Amino acid sequence: MSSSNQQVTGNINSFNNIVNFIADIDTEGRLILQWLSPLEPQKRHQAVRTDRLDGVGNWVLETGEFRKWSDAETGSVEQVLFCYGNPGVGKTYVR
Amino acid sequence: MVIDTLCNQAVGKDVAVVGLYCDFHAQQDQSTTNMLGAMLKQLANREGIPEHTREAFQEAKTEFGGRGLLLPDMVDILNKTITSLPRLFICIDALDECTAKHRRELLESLRRIVRVSPGTRVFLTGRPHIGDEIVGCFGKVHQIPLSPTPSDIKSYLEMRLGDDSIPKAMDDELRADIMRIIPEKISEM
Repeated sequence: MSSSNQQVTGNINSFNNIVNFIADIDTEGRLILQWLSPLEPQKRHQAVRTDRLDGVGNWVLETGEFRKWSDAETGSVEQVLFCYGNPGVGKTYVR
Repeated sequence: MVIDTLCNQAVGKDVAVVGLYCDFHAQQDQSTTNMLGAMLKQLANREGIPEHTREAFQEAKTEFGGRGLLLPDMVDILNKTITSLPRLFICIDALDECTAKHRRELLESLRRIVRVSPGTRVFLTGRPHIGDEIVGCFGKVHQIPLSPTPSDIKSYLEMRLGDDSIPKAMDDELRADIMRIIPEKISEM
């Protein structure tokens, strides 16, 4: 992970943009978002990211299984990837 | 992290990433409808609110002064939203932490989504015992067993030792013992 600063900026822009965007969405839009769901998973995501030690678990992203799943052309592979482990092995932090 | 890695890869491309966390302490709120709704919220923030979602909202508003969505309606809206996306990644953490009923509904909803949209990829984490349910629902799936590697454990230990609030209590010998014995014990687990 060499360009970590750049990466962090990218991450914030891509996933946690919900906060910025809500300000841009009209009143009806805000009501619609509330109507769709009260959950705000981006909060938990931010907490996990802050708490995480960089680089740990990155080997998962290098596995053939992961690459096949994420890179393969539409429809050519199984669409679901399940990473499993017992409590405390770090599943959340890989994700 | 997978979600951030996918987001980074997605920058500038026609790829959307949504993420959900299951939590024992929030089982009541984490109904399948709310979970799928949270995915729609994330997509709406990226793509804007689709016209069909606005229409569904207007329709629901006039009935009983504002009705919530039922699960089949939610799946329907998600499917309509997803068809315009060439590639969508759905990441769900700790699937074993939601109730058995919610998990069954969620997996079934995801199955309907991936069937309609072959460009969608689903990333799930959980304890090993839910593997059978997942395979039972989707048929063949990719699987990766997770356990920390020795180098993961060492970098974590180094970080924790670096944070030590009483550094005077530490000497080189104790440090070396910690770095040797803990990774050994973990690999025996």
